[in-house]
Amino acid sequence: MTGLSSVANNRAIAPWLFSGPLLLVMGVGFIWPLVQVLANSFHPNTPQGIDFTQWTIDNYARLVDPFYGEILVRTLRISFLVTAITAALAYPVALFITRLPPRAQSLVILAYISPWLVNTVVKALGWTLLLRTNGVVNTVLRQFDVITVPLKLMINEIGVIIALVPGHFMFVLLPLWAALSGLDPALSWAAGTLGARPSAVFWRVVVPLTLPAFIAGLVINFIMNMTAFAIPMFLGGTRTMVASMLAYQVNLISLDWPLGGALALALLASTLAFVWVGQRAALLMIAGHRLPP
Amino acid sequence: MSLEIVGLTKTFGATRAVDGVSLSVPRGEFFTLLGPSGCGKTTLLRLVAGIYPANTGAVRLNGRDITHTPMHRRNLAMVFQNYALFPHLNAFDNVAFGLRSRRLPRNEINARVKDALALVKLDALADRFPAQLSGGQQQRVALARALVVRPDLLLFDEPLSNLDARLRDEMRFEIRELQRRIGITTVLVTHDIAEAFTMSDRMAVMQAGKVVQIGRANEIYRAPANRFVANFVGPINELALSRIEMVGSRRRALAAGDLSVWLPDHINASGRDDISLVLRPEALRVATGEIGTDNCYQAEVEDVVYLGGNSECRVRVGGIRLSALLPSAAAARLRRGEQVSVGWNANDGVVIGGE
Repeated sequence: MTGLSSVANNRAIAPWLFSGPLLLVMGVGFIWPLVQVLANSFHPNTPQGIDFTQWTIDNYARLVDPFYGEILVRTLRISFLVTAITAALAYPVALFITRLPPRAQSLVILAYISPWLVNTVVKALGWTLLLRTNGVVNTVLRQFDVITVPLKLMINEIGVIIALVPGHFMFVLLPLWAALSGLDPALSWAAGTLGARPSAVFWRVVVPLTLPAFIAGLVINFIMNMTAFAIPMFLGGTRTMVASMLAYQVNLISLDWPLGGALALALLASTLAFVWVGQRAALLMIAGHRLPP
Repeated sequence: MSLEIVGLTKTFGATRAVDGVSLSVPRGEFFTLLGPSGCGKTTLLRLVAGIYPANTGAVRLNGRDITHTPMHRRNLAMVFQNYALFPHLNAFDNVAFGLRSRRLPRNEINARVKDALALVKLDALADRFPAQLSGGQQQRVALARALVVRPDLLLFDEPLSNLDARLRDEMRFEIRELQRRIGITTVLVTHDIAEAFTMSDRMAVMQAGKVVQIGRANEIYRAPANRFVANFVGPINELALSRIEMVGSRRRALAAGDLSVWLPDHINASGRDDISLVLRPEALRVATGEIGTDNCYQAEVEDVVYLGGNSECRVRVGGIRLSALLPSAAAARLRRGEQVSVGWNANDGVVIGGE
């Protein structure tokens, strides 16, 4: 063994050799800019640009303004509701899919992934065709006399939620479906023969064993909701501004990078905090038992 | 009768996995479903457990019809091939699962789980999770989990096939002993003849979804119902027969290799064509001198294979080869190429016909 292969065989170096290129990209492309954003957020913005000679926490103090607070709360509220609706739907849908024949399973999974085969702006515009005042939904409902006054389905939080739920559903569905497919059917049979009714088999065996995948999916789903941009933009409009739209305006329209930095970090911190609290709560609530080692 | 199965049939698509099976198991019996993989034995067990619905037929347990009863209300328990322990629960909670499903009071659950774990000698490992237990220990937890609910029927699906040979032999006797002590009606599924023979009171040999023979081990071994059973439960010499004739009160036939053979007194072969004489290797005697059997022929020793206590001796007689199992002390005197006598008593043979 010579050259590269002998280096790769070195137990100390090998892991870094394989993960190195990606770490480099992440470091240069993500970590370093994030550090810069952090640094920017502690300097004042002046008409001449960022004044790196001065240090301040004014940018963070400005976020306390109710205008920003309201946007942050709205972003969290929309993201939480979308994740909650997804959580309620995920198990029934995933269980339904695992009971289909293998070929049908891949087709249905493809259907759930399909939103990601479409450009997000095109997708958002598609939703406006469906949801606007004289859109498909309202036209059909009025045609059949279900409603007389058109429903207000967009340029509000409802529109954002309607579009985000199917858009981000696969982030929970895919890991959950994989976990359910990998579950040994004998576990459910063992529980059933031991006298557990189907609902007890679900809550006491299926849920605890697929919970890690489910929660991982919910975390990704929540983060995707927090950072969604095109859908809130088109279906929420400026009246239901969310954090990503605000960050866009501050950074790219007002070019106030220090404030934008503070905003980005506040968003990052609140997302992580929310995810952490949610994860702990879910584990304690659903799995009131010891977890496997 | 504890368990009664009447005309049970289960099809998967065009395959009849279980095809009109009827059998009954009296209370306290250890009954085995024996057969090669794909013979339908596991499917039959799952029909009894209620894992699959049956197409036609009925299953009765202690007199109540459970054919359409959901599995959680059948009051039976099953030990699975891979044990199917709940990986998120420790040994104690695994065993307690069935009792909690029955909503028993907490102190009764604790007492019964402790008793069950003591019964399988695992009381010290109650806090361990399945991943922290060896294969044999997992097997014991699975057994305790099944027994603790005091089921009307205990089902085993190849419970020992994942254990190493030594442990398997030990567990066979342990399970058998436990089953006798508790007196629980038990149905075991296996493809392992030794397992079936050592553990069960009676067994059903299955072939292509049908039960072909039910009986005790010695009946299955000594009087196989057909060629399939004869081959499945052990090595045989098979001689095709033709021209069966009566000589006085006895029957004689011409066997393959131009041997004229005396047949056993009882012949239960159904059809008239495709009839064979089946001889177990240990029924044959081989010696250089006189052997004093009903059927006796001159033969040449082809090979002697030492197997420990016994040796396998292959001899050529007429145009055919016979395999005999002899005590090694007797076999040691035989030389390859030597002219010997080979023979058997007529009633040690079994005549089989058809499939």
